[in-house]
Amino acid sequence: MTADILDGLQAVLQWQVLLFLLGGVALGAVFGALPGLTATMGVAVLTPLTFWLSAEEGLAMLLGIYCGAIPAGGIPAILINVPGTPASIASSWDGYPLAKKGQAGLALGINALCSAVGQLTSVLFLAILAFPIASFALRFGPAEYFGLALFGISLMAGVSGKRVIQGLLAGMLGLALSTVGLDPMTAFPRYTYGFSEFLDGVSFVPVMIGLFGLAEVLVQISERHSALSKPPLALGRIWPKLAEWKQMLPGMLTGAGLGTLVGAIPAAGGDIGAVIAWEQARRLSKRTEEFGKGSIEGLGASSTACNAAIGGAMTTMLTLGIPGDAVSAILIGALLIHGIQPGPLLFRDHGELVFTIVFLIVFAALLIMVVGLLGARPLARVLDIPNPWLWAGIVLFGTVGSYALNNAAVDVWVMFAAGIIGFFLRKADVPLGPLVLGLILGPMMEANLRRALILSRGDVWGTLSRPIVLFFLIATVFSLLLPLIRRDRKGEEKA
Amino acid sequence: MRSNLVVAAAFLLLGIYLAASAAILPAGIGGLPGPGFFPQVIGSVTVLLAVGLLVQTARRREPGSFALANKGAVAGAIGLMFLYLLLWGTGWFALRTAVFLTLLLRFLGQRWGTSVLVGVALTAAVVGAFQYGLRISLE
Repeated sequence: MTADILDGLQAVLQWQVLLFLLGGVALGAVFGALPGLTATMGVAVLTPLTFWLSAEEGLAMLLGIYCGAIPAGGIPAILINVPGTPASIASSWDGYPLAKKGQAGLALGINALCSAVGQLTSVLFLAILAFPIASFALRFGPAEYFGLALFGISLMAGVSGKRVIQGLLAGMLGLALSTVGLDPMTAFPRYTYGFSEFLDGVSFVPVMIGLFGLAEVLVQISERHSALSKPPLALGRIWPKLAEWKQMLPGMLTGAGLGTLVGAIPAAGGDIGAVIAWEQARRLSKRTEEFGKGSIEGLGASSTACNAAIGGAMTTMLTLGIPGDAVSAILIGALLIHGIQPGPLLFRDHGELVFTIVFLIVFAALLIMVVGLLGARPLARVLDIPNPWLWAGIVLFGTVGSYALNNAAVDVWVMFAAGIIGFFLRKADVPLGPLVLGLILGPMMEANLRRALILSRGDVWGTLSRPIVLFFLIATVFSLLLPLIRRDRKGEEKA
Repeated sequence: MRSNLVVAAAFLLLGIYLAASAAILPAGIGGLPGPGFFPQVIGSVTVLLAVGLLVQTARRREPGSFALANKGAVAGAIGLMFLYLLLWGTGWFALRTAVFLTLLLRFLGQRWGTSVLVGVALTAAVVGAFQYGLRISLE
């Protein structure tokens, strides 16, 4: 094993490999920072370029894109409330309020540092706990996925803050939107109204851009003469103080653990991991009321978690040959092209390659941290741009980003409709986070519940009484009841 | 405007529509849920939650507020974008986009000169990044 570690390190320390890693991180940062472009798209578009490279150089570039895109997605989430990638949705909940308070520098600094912490801790998990995590993930069947999705959806209540019913209603709208398209089991078209473009369902990226980008622009236009219209220009410091590190630590640990675990579960990526980690950090925190209003704990937990999912996804990919998320699915293809078969035999036959990947993620994490910290101050100058210029830019990049996703005009209209709906929901004080959560988790919940029922021949009790499912069901009940219990307690204390 | 009441009414209608439309989707086979099962559950829960919001609003007498200032500016921005999207895919992307952005910026109170400059610069950035950088056709 020591020889594998040294061989892996030696492979990474070649200047060509480091150069491709740097290039990948830079390209990934561009893909992550532009709303509408995702890490998956970046890796998919640039995979053909790696066919002419060695396995190490190709992996360096692709992993660089992956590791660069996820932290960079947090930059527009913090500065303009538009998540650059789906994984950074939860980062906007506290990052943007921090920027509005004049602490954009600190928010960007926390994003860069916690992203590196997330990637480094998850890669440590990968090196030490690869097999136990992967075998836990392998125990997930349709019933367990249903349990996980149900638990994720129950987090809507917590994400909604004080407006629990409004938040749950927004979540229902997201779930309703997720039913558009072909039925996952019978392929019967639902709510497509004759439009073939909707047979594949409603893409959540244009919805996300509309809800958080266009809606935000419209809200700001409507409030342009009020005090809320212009965020304070002060960037503040970038580096968190020691007391702030201490405050963030529990959330970061929660984010690292949950992000890695959720990332290891196939098809459950950083977006779900970050939302779950944010909510759990909120519950563990003594400053619950600050979450969603610029909490550094919330931002730390979500930034750590969405990046920790990378190590989790890599764990499942390398040990079992099963993709943990869409990016690792493409990476499996790239590895196969280079004659490398991911799976249990990889550790026996190409142990050095596993450690090459480990060291590549370590170097990528360090690179993105340095770039993120050095770039925080110039990046935060975005807030100095006159509001109308910024609004025009968000509208344009949001529109083109939505179109670029599938080269489909329908996605642009979806973004437009989501923006208008989001604007009215925002004005009515309805939280938008649960809507996206419903849209992401809806298909996973429906398809797996129905698949599980088919497998158990309609035995509902047999499906729901499996140990992992039962655990998720109990967690779901707690998750739904806890905000109500807390509210009652606070009411009693006030009385 | 009483926002909670409007939200509750809108979601009540959505829930009723979902539940009703799901009922006409094909039924499942062999006692297993069919395509209408999930929308029906969502519709029913939405109705329950909307009624819950109505009751809560009535009990607490907190109807919420819906302050919509600058209605003209918001409607104008939405209208301009609607027109721009109507012309999507008709060619001349760069020209259409530059004109749209100039009009939008002018509408938002910028001077004509500034609007043209910023509109052209933003268009050039998008065309450069997407059309030439990523080879994504925007026409």
